[in-house]
Amino acid sequence: MRQWQHIIPSGAIAALGLWVCYVSFTQKPTQAFLFPRLISSVFVILALWTFGRALLGLSRAGTGIGRTMFLNILPGLLVAAVYIFWAAEALGFYSGSALAFFTLLSLYDPASHGEVKSWVRRIVITAGFILVMYLLFAKLLSVFTPRGLFF
Amino acid sequence: MTKILKGLATALLLAAAPAAAQDYPDRPVMMMVSYGAGGATDFQARIVTMTAGNEDALGQPIAIINKPGAGGRVGWNWLATQAEADGYTLGAYNIPHFIAQSIEGGVEYSVDSFEPIANWGADPAVFIVGADSPFNSMQDVVNWAKENPGKLTFSGAGLFVGHHIAALQLEAAADVKLAYIPNNSGGAGAMKAVIAGEVMGGVNNLSDAYRAANAGSVKILGVFDTERSSFLPDVPTLQEAGYDIDNASVNYRGIMVPKGTPQEIIDKLAAVMPAMFGNPSVIKQMEAGGSPIKIMTRDEVIEMWAARQKTLEKLLAGL
Amino acid sequence: MEFIYYFGEVFTPISFMLLVGGTIGGLILGATPGLSPTMAVALLIPFTFRLEPAHGLILLGAAYTSTVAGGAVSAILLKIPGAPANIATTLDGHTMATQGRGAEALQLSFLSSAAGGVFGVLLLIFLTPMLAKWALAFGPSHLFWLAILGVTVIGTLDTNSVVKGLLSGCMGMWLATIGFDDIMGAQRFIVHPSLAGGISIVPALIGLFAIPQVLAMFARGRQPVGSDVIAVQKHPIGKAMREMTRRWRALGIGTAIGSIIGLIPGIGGQIAGLVAYDQAKKFSSERQNFGKGHSEGVIAAESANNAMVGPSLVPLLTLSVPGSPTAAVLLGGLLIHGIFPGSDLFDNHPDVAWTFINSMLIGQVLMCIFGLYVAGLAARVAQVPQYVMAAVVLGLAVFGSYSVQNSMGDVYVMAALGIGMFFLERFGFTAAPLVLGLILGPIAEANFTQGSMIADATDGRFSYFFGGTLNIVLILIVIASVAYLAWMEVLQRRQDRADQANEAKA
Repeated sequence: MRQWQHIIPSGAIAALGLWVCYVSFTQKPTQAFLFPRLISSVFVILALWTFGRALLGLSRAGTGIGRTMFLNILPGLLVAAVYIFWAAEALGFYSGSALAFFTLLSLYDPASHGEVKSWVRRIVITAGFILVMYLLFAKLLSVFTPRGLFF
Repeated sequence: MTKILKGLATALLLAAAPAAAQDYPDRPVMMMVSYGAGGATDFQARIVTMTAGNEDALGQPIAIINKPGAGGRVGWNWLATQAEADGYTLGAYNIPHFIAQSIEGGVEYSVDSFEPIANWGADPAVFIVGADSPFNSMQDVVNWAKENPGKLTFSGAGLFVGHHIAALQLEAAADVKLAYIPNNSGGAGAMKAVIAGEVMGGVNNLSDAYRAANAGSVKILGVFDTERSSFLPDVPTLQEAGYDIDNASVNYRGIMVPKGTPQEIIDKLAAVMPAMFGNPSVIKQMEAGGSPIKIMTRDEVIEMWAARQKTLEKLLAGL
Repeated sequence: MEFIYYFGEVFTPISFMLLVGGTIGGLILGATPGLSPTMAVALLIPFTFRLEPAHGLILLGAAYTSTVAGGAVSAILLKIPGAPANIATTLDGHTMATQGRGAEALQLSFLSSAAGGVFGVLLLIFLTPMLAKWALAFGPSHLFWLAILGVTVIGTLDTNSVVKGLLSGCMGMWLATIGFDDIMGAQRFIVHPSLAGGISIVPALIGLFAIPQVLAMFARGRQPVGSDVIAVQKHPIGKAMREMTRRWRALGIGTAIGSIIGLIPGIGGQIAGLVAYDQAKKFSSERQNFGKGHSEGVIAAESANNAMVGPSLVPLLTLSVPGSPTAAVLLGGLLIHGIFPGSDLFDNHPDVAWTFINSMLIGQVLMCIFGLYVAGLAARVAQVPQYVMAAVVLGLAVFGSYSVQNSMGDVYVMAALGIGMFFLERFGFTAAPLVLGLILGPIAEANFTQGSMIADATDGRFSYFFGGTLNIVLILIVIASVAYLAWMEVLQRRQDRADQANEAKA
């Protein structure tokens, strides 16, 4: 198994632990950082222990990330990130969601991209989903979503 | 034909004019409450805004959004820095809380970050002890505290909120040292601490204390206000008990908007809101819940804010 | 026995209609991601303005019971826990759904919800005065130890490694400290403006559970049609009932723990499900099957989180002290009708009080009937193709986490935590301990701070935190729990070494 991969997450966590520890012990007021100090001390010990085990190649749990898996995730992850961190607010919640939803369907739907029928189906599913969301959140629960450029 | 054209032209002109003032509001308005659902502020905010959809009020409903955390700091920070000043985002204020917090520092708002609209309620702080407590008057409490300096534990809703101000005023006026225990879950948590006997006494909202006293779980010893409350005609004010304490800790609740909201919208809201709070059905339900009403117009609130800013600066300077 | 006189009130046409409406509405709201029972009840309050007090409370009571159970639907079918109460349900329930046993999981969850719920309400009816004392017995020091006890549960929630479980728990506790601290108002670890409000629990839950799920579906790529359709098994209700009675131990543990923990103000509702799951696992003879779609996991978690509904209202109804956020909202529902909880409620408005309590009792049964009715149909969600499911869950996650506080910041936090969790899950970390840390951190901190302040003013920290029977009992349970953890770790090590030796031989 890809033992070396374990070094990356456990290293990142150990770095995070060190940073948390540093901040907790240097920031004021002391009283507000009492509990973070307690937590971060335990945090850092456990994180370094895990990191050490990863370095020695003793971490076995989990499946790691394979090349095909990563390549499969990447486009979806990018669409999701653009959707959440940009489109939902800039384009408007409903239009952003519709666009992201449709793109994801198009990316992962195994049906052929050449047929008209499959495109119609994707559009119908997207429209149906957005309609349900609109009725549930905007009408029933009166949630105000960012309007952005469109809606 | 010309008539129709003229009509069309006026319609177009109207549509083209900045849609701000006369059409406002053309969609539901939201109001941020910086305390959790079920708290006294949230509960009262829901009641006083329930008639907003009426034609003689805004004509559009007001929806309550809760942004609780850190004694209200989270919500007011959001309102001051992130909320859109388009008139569709209102906020509930609690005086003296947000002013005291801004004087203490560490937040991104002050009285100048917001424009008041109108005030709906004033909830004085009261001093309570458990039903089986040996204390029967403020004098008993202060005497005990004088004999045991720093040992009298009493709860309140947090630091730099009305209860804390009342506690500071009591310490200063009676010249004693007390142990104020701020509670992380607000007035309800502070109340529970008193009833369960975790602390010897507490400062709490009059409305909540009145209810708890009715349920037989606490005794109310004094009101931190300049006059007695109509809910508690038998309980003396702190002034009557011999301590020089004014109404600086009284919790005023009302509506404000972020600075930068168009003046016409502020004017419209300021004209509509006091009447909306005075709606008989609102008054009836506020009274049923034991929530003291105090309707004030925008000008009165501006004055009250300025006065509080002064008193609190003086009071907190000694900390 | 007074409550029986008021049963008639529940069955008048209007009341019963409201009860049915509240139950169905509650199930739908509960199944909507992001809508916790607290929010659902708060949304319904305005509807009660126009109703008679008793009718308004019937609606609220029915909605409260059914939203708690409705949360299990999204937990099982979508792996989105509707509220902290449903976290434990995802662990086995969602696994069952992916195995095509969604109908079975839903039936078990509704049946055990009803069993636990009815028991909880009966406790409320018969033992209220006694329970009120118990609810108030927990002061800051006890709640602190209780939170620490909760932390020790972390080790057994994580099946891979105790150290990684505890590390996840620590990360969760740290995440909970982000934002303004509740007492001092100091800013902590705010590295991005969307963190200023702290990490709210519901968006975090959605992110940590739903997003890894979405990414895992992406990971399969464009699969040819038909390859990933799950055969959804039909499951007769009678079989589910027999299964539940066969698993009486899990049901008993869940109900008992839910009732006891639900009483404790401020902590109960959130962790009842997880603690019950953990205990059921410890006492089960099929310990190794937990987390792999084992019925006991669903039964224990769901019976616990509905058993907690009745007792959680005890402090509110007797002392006018709301013990949970939902109880606080219900208090508002009482106040607008001029009814003050406490002796006033039972002495002067017994019709309102008992109608409300009875409606929760009937509500539990109705909820179960409707739930069972739709379980078979709802389980077909598992047949939705993976690529549609991924997009739907992503959309629901975004809408759900936004709607909690109308905040984009919450959506960012949800996504960041979710994406991080997906990668960590590939390396043996799991979400459940992290979430437990997130919930318990603030409880531990607030009670530690408050306890120390009281202790400093009175008789010193040591005697405050270590004195008194209840403190000592709780500390002993903590020690027992840690010892169990260590023992399991030793056994696990031994097992691993034996496995390695076998591998080497082969």
